[in-house]
Amino acid sequence: MIALLFASLLLLIAIGAPIAYALGLSALLYFLVDDPQLLLVLPQRLFSGFDSYALISLPLFILMGQTMNAARITARLIDCSLLFVGRFRGGLGLVNVLASMLFGGISGSSASDTASIGSVLIPEMARRGYPRPFAAGITVASATMGMIIPPSIPMVLYAVTAQQSVGRLFLGGVFPGLLVGVLQLGLTSVFARRRDYPREETPRGLRYAARELGRSLPVLCMPVFVVGAVVLGMATATESAALGVFYALLVGLAVTRALTAAAFRACLLEAALTSAKIMLIIAMSQAYIWVLALERVPQAVADAVAALGLGAAGTLLLIDLIVLAAGTIIDVSPAILLLTPVFLPALEQAGVSPILFGVLLVSGLAVGACTPPVGTCLNVGAAVSGLGIGAIFRGAAPFLAANVATLLLLTLFPDLALWLPNLLME
Amino acid sequence: MPPPARKLSAVLEAALQLALFLIFAAIAGLVFLRYFFGAGVVGANEGATIVFVYASSLGAALAAGRDEHIRVEFLTERLGERGRRSAHALSLFLVGALNVVLVERGIEWIRVTGGYLMPATQLTRIAAQISVPLGCGLAALYCFARLAETARGGRGGP
Repeated sequence: MIALLFASLLLLIAIGAPIAYALGLSALLYFLVDDPQLLLVLPQRLFSGFDSYALISLPLFILMGQTMNAARITARLIDCSLLFVGRFRGGLGLVNVLASMLFGGISGSSASDTASIGSVLIPEMARRGYPRPFAAGITVASATMGMIIPPSIPMVLYAVTAQQSVGRLFLGGVFPGLLVGVLQLGLTSVFARRRDYPREETPRGLRYAARELGRSLPVLCMPVFVVGAVVLGMATATESAALGVFYALLVGLAVTRALTAAAFRACLLEAALTSAKIMLIIAMSQAYIWVLALERVPQAVADAVAALGLGAAGTLLLIDLIVLAAGTIIDVSPAILLLTPVFLPALEQAGVSPILFGVLLVSGLAVGACTPPVGTCLNVGAAVSGLGIGAIFRGAAPFLAANVATLLLLTLFPDLALWLPNLLME
Repeated sequence: MPPPARKLSAVLEAALQLALFLIFAAIAGLVFLRYFFGAGVVGANEGATIVFVYASSLGAALAAGRDEHIRVEFLTERLGERGRRSAHALSLFLVGALNVVLVERGIEWIRVTGGYLMPATQLTRIAAQISVPLGCGLAALYCFARLAETARGGRGGP
């Protein structure tokens, strides 16, 4: 029966059925073959997937990012980044990474980071003499920080799936996300020196710096406000997401004054649709996971991993490889929903913290967002730059080394993810 | 898409915008009430969750109509035009069929469990549960409309 469950899922995904429905159809097939009376479980699991107060944070975080984007904050973030790193060699490359780091803390989504930063910086970098694949590659690779630096939509998804604290996961992503950014900045500097990329002329002086910082400050404060509200226990994740939307509206209406009613309506629709697509995967995966539990698959995986006798670090290394491989062929949301219930029991048995696993999972899947054939960021980057995904991936690959190095460091030094949540939330 | 399906999509789009705005307003409003007036509204969180269930269910149906659900396409992209079309038609048929099963079983499930009351709002659970057959029914309609369009040689998209 398990073979039927996996084979049917793979076959359905291969013929291009939406992943959500492929999960539901596999479960349906299982019920039809095993016990048709269990079919009542399908609508019940579907409903229980939708019926979650905690998951209301999902459309609200998406709406927050969309609203900030519609408020045209990208230009301010780029100007702010220019102030700090523009004058160094390869200035625009460094600006690209730094702006992604800042944007990551605001949008929570790598795809919107790629679209927003890429549409401005890829043409500008090409105009300043950077090869287009390099410009597109660095945009796509640095956008991965959007998933790791809080607030992060995949982290919310993992938190709900694994029944963990959203605040702890947000904090767990801070250092790994910043580490990816610092390593990517270092790599950009190395390439810039070797290839003699240009510096940018930026006005100097304290007055200019203060003015630029002042313009960006309301935008930059947003992640602190949203994450702080959760960490300090002032609001639940769902409430902090709603406050984030309120904050984004204030920024769009009073600070940048670029947000229109039509743009906000478009944000509402886009956020509702994006959320519904993820929610359907969550809901359908409930039925699939129910069957996996019925067939005792998580327990079998836990026993198999324990039998390998790898210890915590060895087990994590194995999980890293599985996550990286899964990320190349499956999108982030379904990967989180499928891998979490299967591997979390094994990891808990090996003494691995669920928070660490969540950070590792999201960090590993972020790499998959930039690798063919199913890289969401690659596809967005291709649409923005006009290049093929192969060319962009070749440009991104050296920078993704920073992500893989971070993953390895997380595996070897779990405190990178655990120190901050343990410090602030215990 | 035939004109009635387009009209339906426009209605669903407006409903989704309204639903998400209501959810945002309710949750943000509750926080402000709590901090500024030390007050709350009984059943507001449950109400927001019910709206969210509808937004998810109807949004999923609309996404099916727009052919926007997340899928893996790198294998079907390697097929010829005919193979791609066949795979697309098969996928639409199977998704439509699954939704029909969900409507039929959903109604049966509601008949059994829909009479219970929700703890805060004291509404019967049917008020929220009905969103499942409703959303699945709309998704099935979209799938079969797109399947018919694919069979006629159209794109089968919105």
